[in-house]
Amino acid sequence: MSKLSLLCALLLSSIAWTPATAKVFFRVTATSLPPSDKTAIDDLVLPWPLRDSSIVARFRNAGYTVWLQCDSKNLASVSDAVDPAAVAGVIVAGATSSNQFAEAEEIRSFMAAHKNLSFRILVSGGKQPQMKGRLVVERDGILQVSSPSTQPWLDTNLAAVRIAHSSSPDSLPIAYDFRWSPSDVPPGAWYPDAEDYALAIAESDAVRSDVIIDLPASLQQALNAEDPQAWSLWKRVMPYLGFSSHAPVAKAEPIANLGVIVDNTKASYEPINLLARHSFAFEALRPANLTLARLQKWNSVVVFSSLNTESFALLQDFATKGGIVVFVNSHDKFPWHSIPPSRQESRTTTYSIGAGQIVELGEPVIEPENFARDLRRLIGRDRSAIALWNSLTTIATAYREEAPAETTLYLVNYADQPDNVQIQVKGRFTRVRFEAPEEHCCVPLPFVERNGFTEFTIPSLRIAARVHLDSDGESSAAQ
Amino acid sequence: MRWPKYVALPVLGLAFVSLLPLLCSAQGSGSVHLKRYAMGTVFEIVVYDDDSTKAEAAAHAALDEAVRLDRMMSNYKADSELSQMNRSAHFQPVRISRELYDIIEQSLSYSRVSGGQFDISVGPLVDLWKAALAGGPIPSADEQTAARGCVGYQQIELLPPDRIQFLSNCMRLDLGSIGKGYAVDRMVELLKARGIRRAYIDAGGSTIYGLGYPKSANAWRVRLRDPSGKLFPQTSLMNSSVSTSEQSAPSPLQGDAPGHIVLPGTGKPLQTRNTVSVTAQSATASDALSTTLLLLGPTKGAALLKTLHGISAIWIDPDGQRLVAGDSAVFHLSGEQQSTRTSQPAKAAVEMSNTRQDSPR
Repeated sequence: MSKLSLLCALLLSSIAWTPATAKVFFRVTATSLPPSDKTAIDDLVLPWPLRDSSIVARFRNAGYTVWLQCDSKNLASVSDAVDPAAVAGVIVAGATSSNQFAEAEEIRSFMAAHKNLSFRILVSGGKQPQMKGRLVVERDGILQVSSPSTQPWLDTNLAAVRIAHSSSPDSLPIAYDFRWSPSDVPPGAWYPDAEDYALAIAESDAVRSDVIIDLPASLQQALNAEDPQAWSLWKRVMPYLGFSSHAPVAKAEPIANLGVIVDNTKASYEPINLLARHSFAFEALRPANLTLARLQKWNSVVVFSSLNTESFALLQDFATKGGIVVFVNSHDKFPWHSIPPSRQESRTTTYSIGAGQIVELGEPVIEPENFARDLRRLIGRDRSAIALWNSLTTIATAYREEAPAETTLYLVNYADQPDNVQIQVKGRFTRVRFEAPEEHCCVPLPFVERNGFTEFTIPSLRIAARVHLDSDGESSAAQ
Repeated sequence: MRWPKYVALPVLGLAFVSLLPLLCSAQGSGSVHLKRYAMGTVFEIVVYDDDSTKAEAAAHAALDEAVRLDRMMSNYKADSELSQMNRSAHFQPVRISRELYDIIEQSLSYSRVSGGQFDISVGPLVDLWKAALAGGPIPSADEQTAARGCVGYQQIELLPPDRIQFLSNCMRLDLGSIGKGYAVDRMVELLKARGIRRAYIDAGGSTIYGLGYPKSANAWRVRLRDPSGKLFPQTSLMNSSVSTSEQSAPSPLQGDAPGHIVLPGTGKPLQTRNTVSVTAQSATASDALSTTLLLLGPTKGAALLKTLHGISAIWIDPDGQRLVAGDSAVFHLSGEQQSTRTSQPAKAAVEMSNTRQDSPR
């Protein structure tokens, strides 16, 4: 089973999920680090079993919060061995699809018995966030296929996290991790570099999920040894740690105009990944959780899974009131088939229902990029909660917070080049403020209101930024 | 700035083709692979030189050049030289840089040889359909007529040595069909000036240039876009370029989705599922002509190529039918005897063939 499949299976299992707070863990192998107040790192993860039992106390004395990472089968032995006063929590890795339900129950039982410990379920299959190229360099040349111009390919974890959020809200908290892409670097250079760390930290903040980042042994040793180059690198990372830790942690609701109904993520992951990369404001939902209340938050729905008859009725009513529904790889018999389609082509059948429409695509998504673009066109700009212009390397997420009434927009630029980002957010706001690791909170941004949208520009987005959209309470986004 | 991803990188992802192996092997020192976002896509460069410091500096400089030219030629950036010219060149001459003058002059030459199929004044039409492609409504007939009235390369007047004037009050130039090729040629010049003899430049997949050849091969092999998935066409580059053009893919959800390539004559998106790949000695030529030959189609395109020197093209349709014009030896298909040289045309040919022997076109 591939890592991605494992991730998907685990995320959609009965393991429930609790909103995390974009905590950044660093996984270390060394036995010591400079003090926490010097590295700006709060949370360390140590792999279990420990090589040296005194290491926990040593890191605690240096100011760190210590977590242990163990395989699920070792959970009991860890619980017996650790001192709850010294260890803050346990990262549980190694769950498998075959026994995930049993493991979920076991972990819940374990949590109930150890209320003084925190837990995270580690989902594998995460990707190093980056803008990727297309070239494969070989010994005797380059592997390359010519093509029409392609948009930058971004490796992001947003889709995986959104799928994780599709589980019920009373569940086990998760964290994701990834491997740094193997790379050859010039002698004396560090890899990953500061921008790689910064991007990973920024992405975790934007997707609002905990992340575990590997701190290579060579860097740990160099920081310990007061290596000036290592510290020069790390001092460029620290502003991003500081920026991330100041992210709002209050319970925030993702702003979404699009609902994605999904149960088999193996088949639908890549289309959802492309929705994420195109900055659709979307939420993922399991079929069983589709309710009228959820539908009322959206204006469009994409269905990747089979539904029951009650859900058919809900979606038909949703379309009647103006919603757009797209069924992917649909071969079911639906109630609206009793009326003639408004349009029929080889692969798609469209029904105009009330003020809305239902589109049935009779095959899986073959080209996710085209699907995402086409869906954007079908939904239309006036229904999109968030739109970016000329920012093909940037993704945006937004969350609404109740107190104080504020919408926060998170932006992550994967290209490591300053980008002029033009943004349109649905809703009227009284104030728009911008902050970034390079710009302390907050810089007022000029904005205009046009046809129910608020438009503004970030002149130079480097890697991470947050935009605070203050509301007087009468207006909101994405409704 | 990120560290360069050196050629010895053991694993790199290839987004476009999962069929190709993802492993890469050690290349030795003195080679550098960098990428940079420019012109709405990712520019990648691989530079080979025994002096790795020199290779890295040259690669950075070349990518800096692409970014600089993007700032100059972008019609998305309001402060680009192109945007400023588009706002002010109506009915009064404005002074522009030598580079912008040069690329517009080259563009006009392609407009003339193609009978106006290649036209950098097509911007208003492209923008009209681009908005539809991005989710806006299909432009009305009146909107299309109005936009067509703004198009026509004959209304661009270059006034040597450095001024330009539009003879239309709504003209707007778009260098999207030639800009990446021009940037690649400038990058090549810059590499040569720094003493680099082996390099590979990829401008988002659509324009690729091979400078010299790899140490262990006699040319840079490039697989070409094949909408049929049957032919596995390749070409080999040595001090030459290949560009590929294709209309936007059909809409999976709505059959009438517009494409991004617009016919200047009709003002409507081109309706074709062909792909065309063009080889030339310069990236400017291959880039400009790939769009032109897609718009012209195989028959008229092949006729045009008879008038041009050193240009070859292959059109491939989704059924696997292909047409080669120019030097047929430039392109080699799976199972056919390979040829690796583009500089000395073996023969001028217009060849129509089909991989399915039982169903000739």
